[in-house]
Amino acid sequence: MLVIENLTKIYDNGFKALDRINLEIPEGQFVSIIGLSGSGKSTLLRCINRLIDPTEGRIVWRGVDITAATDDELRQIRRRIGMIFQQFNLVRRSSVITNVMSGRLGYVNPMFSLVNYFPRAEKERALAALERVGIPEKAYVRASSLSGGQQQRVGIARALMQNPELMLADEPVASLDPATSHSVMKYLELLNKEDGITILCSLHFLSLARAYSDRVIALKDGRLEFDGLPGEIDNDRFKQIYGEDAVEVEIH
Amino acid sequence: MNQTPSRLALRRLLIIIAVAAGFIIFSYGWTVTEINLARPQEPIRQQNVGNALRELLSPNVFEQDYSIINATTPIVMNCPADGSPPAEAPQQTGDQPYIIVTPTCARSGETVTVQGYNFYPDSLARINWIDNSGERRIRQVAGVEGDNFITEGDGTFTVQIEVPRIRGSADQTHAVEAQGRFPVGLPRLSNTTGLVIEKMIETIFLALIATSISILPSAILSFFAAHNLMRPVRMSLGNLLMSIVLLPVGWVIGTRLLAPLATLGANLVSGAGLTTASGAALLLLFGAVTSSRAATTATIENGGRVRAALNTLLVTLVFIFAFGLIGGLGILVGRLFDTGVLGYVSNFVGTVGELMRLTIPLIAGIAGAFALSSVGTSLTLDGLKKLDTTSAHVLGGVLGAIAGAIVMALVGLIGMQAAWLGLLPPFAAASLASGLLPGLYRRLTGTTPRTANRSIVTALSWIGSIAAFVLTAALLRVDQAVIAGTLPSQEPAVNLLGMGIPLYIAETLLIGAVLGGIMGALSGTKAAFPLGEILYNITRTVLNALRSIEPLIMGLVFVIWVGIGPFAGVLALTLHSIASLGKLYSEQIESIDTGPIEALQSTGANWIQTIMYAVVPQIIPPYIAFTMYRWDINVRMSTIIGFVGGGGVGFLLQQQINLLRYRDAGVAVLAIAIVVSILDYASASIRERVI
Repeated sequence: MLVIENLTKIYDNGFKALDRINLEIPEGQFVSIIGLSGSGKSTLLRCINRLIDPTEGRIVWRGVDITAATDDELRQIRRRIGMIFQQFNLVRRSSVITNVMSGRLGYVNPMFSLVNYFPRAEKERALAALERVGIPEKAYVRASSLSGGQQQRVGIARALMQNPELMLADEPVASLDPATSHSVMKYLELLNKEDGITILCSLHFLSLARAYSDRVIALKDGRLEFDGLPGEIDNDRFKQIYGEDAVEVEIH
Repeated sequence: MNQTPSRLALRRLLIIIAVAAGFIIFSYGWTVTEINLARPQEPIRQQNVGNALRELLSPNVFEQDYSIINATTPIVMNCPADGSPPAEAPQQTGDQPYIIVTPTCARSGETVTVQGYNFYPDSLARINWIDNSGERRIRQVAGVEGDNFITEGDGTFTVQIEVPRIRGSADQTHAVEAQGRFPVGLPRLSNTTGLVIEKMIETIFLALIATSISILPSAILSFFAAHNLMRPVRMSLGNLLMSIVLLPVGWVIGTRLLAPLATLGANLVSGAGLTTASGAALLLLFGAVTSSRAATTATIENGGRVRAALNTLLVTLVFIFAFGLIGGLGILVGRLFDTGVLGYVSNFVGTVGELMRLTIPLIAGIAGAFALSSVGTSLTLDGLKKLDTTSAHVLGGVLGAIAGAIVMALVGLIGMQAAWLGLLPPFAAASLASGLLPGLYRRLTGTTPRTANRSIVTALSWIGSIAAFVLTAALLRVDQAVIAGTLPSQEPAVNLLGMGIPLYIAETLLIGAVLGGIMGALSGTKAAFPLGEILYNITRTVLNALRSIEPLIMGLVFVIWVGIGPFAGVLALTLHSIASLGKLYSEQIESIDTGPIEALQSTGANWIQTIMYAVVPQIIPPYIAFTMYRWDINVRMSTIIGFVGGGGVGFLLQQQINLLRYRDAGVAVLAIAIVVSILDYASASIRERVI
């Protein structure tokens, strides 16, 4: 269970990105977060693993207060929270397998990892993760030589190395074409169904949210605008979330 | 914007005024730099520069052996007034070379004709004047540039020379000598060329060594000078103060306890205990590595922290012992060989070992300071977090006073070394005090940094800084130091914990304690301190200051320290390279893609791992490129560092120029041009390939 209480984030320039967000997310749910650009989706996700420190409020995951964790404790918590990004955030000059294994850094011996040594078991785990996302043959090529969809799958493999119990996905398909988007979303769905990983995924397209998620959360100007089932979002609600002039675009 | 006609006219007027002002400034510059068209037109200057350039462009690269033949004939200075016959020219016959001078007597400044026979055909010849003391001087032949002229195809010549003006030479009998030279054997590289090549090799290696020594320090510094990495580094004030308070304690422990351990390591190797020592080191290393593995998997509660602390201590012990061992090993290797390739290697390794042994107290002190401060910080972390507000502020005040005293005493230690360095303590006090009044203001009005009125806060912070600067400067009598150059007394005057310290240090210490105490009490131990921002600013300032000093000036100082020679040049170029590479490197870090950093942080990687996996792969190619570029620059600089005694080809070049030996200087200039352009090309092509 992930409990978010009264979460507020005000940036140094005074911009209020999140305004008293309250949420409860049970284990194993696939939750989509929708909303316009700048509505606070990314900030919400980054507050959960404290890539951004919230200004006020608490985030409690499985009884542990993430917002109060010290640096050491935070690293222990982050090890179990995977994250994938819109821009994939791979080290483009490094090989795919190095990128994947870097997801395991929180677990391995820090001294050995500094000289780029990983035990054989970790290497096998990385290859298995790549196998799982369908690109085992790309293990030893440079990350920059992969297509966007393949890079995002490497991103997923990197997160898999953490054995995550919670997965944060920050607009994972916003830089991809529709067909590739669906394939990436299917991998996330698979992790949710097969491994029981809770997934929080921010999305631009409502149609993707409808197709893959159990629950949709909508943010508007940092406030929680809607929280419910994907089917409950009708035209009125849509205009409420995206503004009067918005027209829904389908992605197939 | 509304472009009304009057506004447009005003704009135009402003542009005209700006152009006119620019013109005036430029004209002033023209006068200041003494641009003068008359001087370069003076014939004597034109002739001089022509000669110098001609010689520079005729570098004395090759030389050849000559077969030389001479012929001499006497000449009487001042024809006798009575018209008595002049000295008889010796009769010459056969195929021996001989010369005839007409007339056989002449006054100073008159022109005489020299005819030569039986010399080498079509080859170089020159005329020497030999006075009655036997001293030779070359006479330039009329109508010919330079010392030599060319003989006719039949081995004869007819040239005119001027009789030299020699004081008191009247009625003496001097001699005219003709010297014909004919090249024999193959041309070879001249002695000058050999010397220049030798010095050029020294130059290239001077640049190479300076560049390679500077890579590691500047790479480390570049991380501290990269804003994107340092800005997020914040530390709770309590932890920071705790670690500052523990630094000097750790230093003392390090120099007292760790240094003997390292020395033991160094001595063990030099003695017979090599095997024992390295065996022990390996065991310790193994223990440290296994224990560090356990520390990461242990749940971080107080038990985990104690283990982590023990681990840090163990790693420190192993590190310092290994440092000593390696130093001792280096010294041992240094004694093994004397000559040949192994001699160079052994000399190098030996010097490094010696350096390590010399720096043992320093390294031990630093290691002790950082180990203790890290252990202390981590053990007190939980305690500090649990403090209630009042005790957090009280403790903040106490720790702040001690930490402020320590920092300011260190600054004072630097400040008392030279008069103008005395400005450092007031500056440090000013920056300590900048947050003081704003803090008080927020406390009194009950506002937070976000809600407080920005202009009031800025004004208060300036007032606080200036007041602290002025008060500190007055107390430390900085005005005296700056104007008269008097240094504060080094005599111990105050007794502190059994140590006698100078009055000046006691004063800076007191100022630091007061300011630090107030700041700590106001902020409390829980306030976030922008440690990264401050380290960034300090590093940047130091790098910029170092970079603005030309290596030639640094060279002057190092020549005083280590004497004339390439070593001084290496030190000067190294220091300058550290500053400028540090800046270039840090700019590369600032331009990296920060996405991977975020990604790795989110996986639970620690700070060092994040740097190694997200930053380092991105910066290696530009680092290589900039290092090549720097080597290229260093070669160019090392060609002139010799002008101030820094070794290399510049030293030779300066001597040659001072002795007006422009043909020899030409060789050095040619060598510099060749080497620099080859390196320029090579570094450009390598840079292209790496990026």
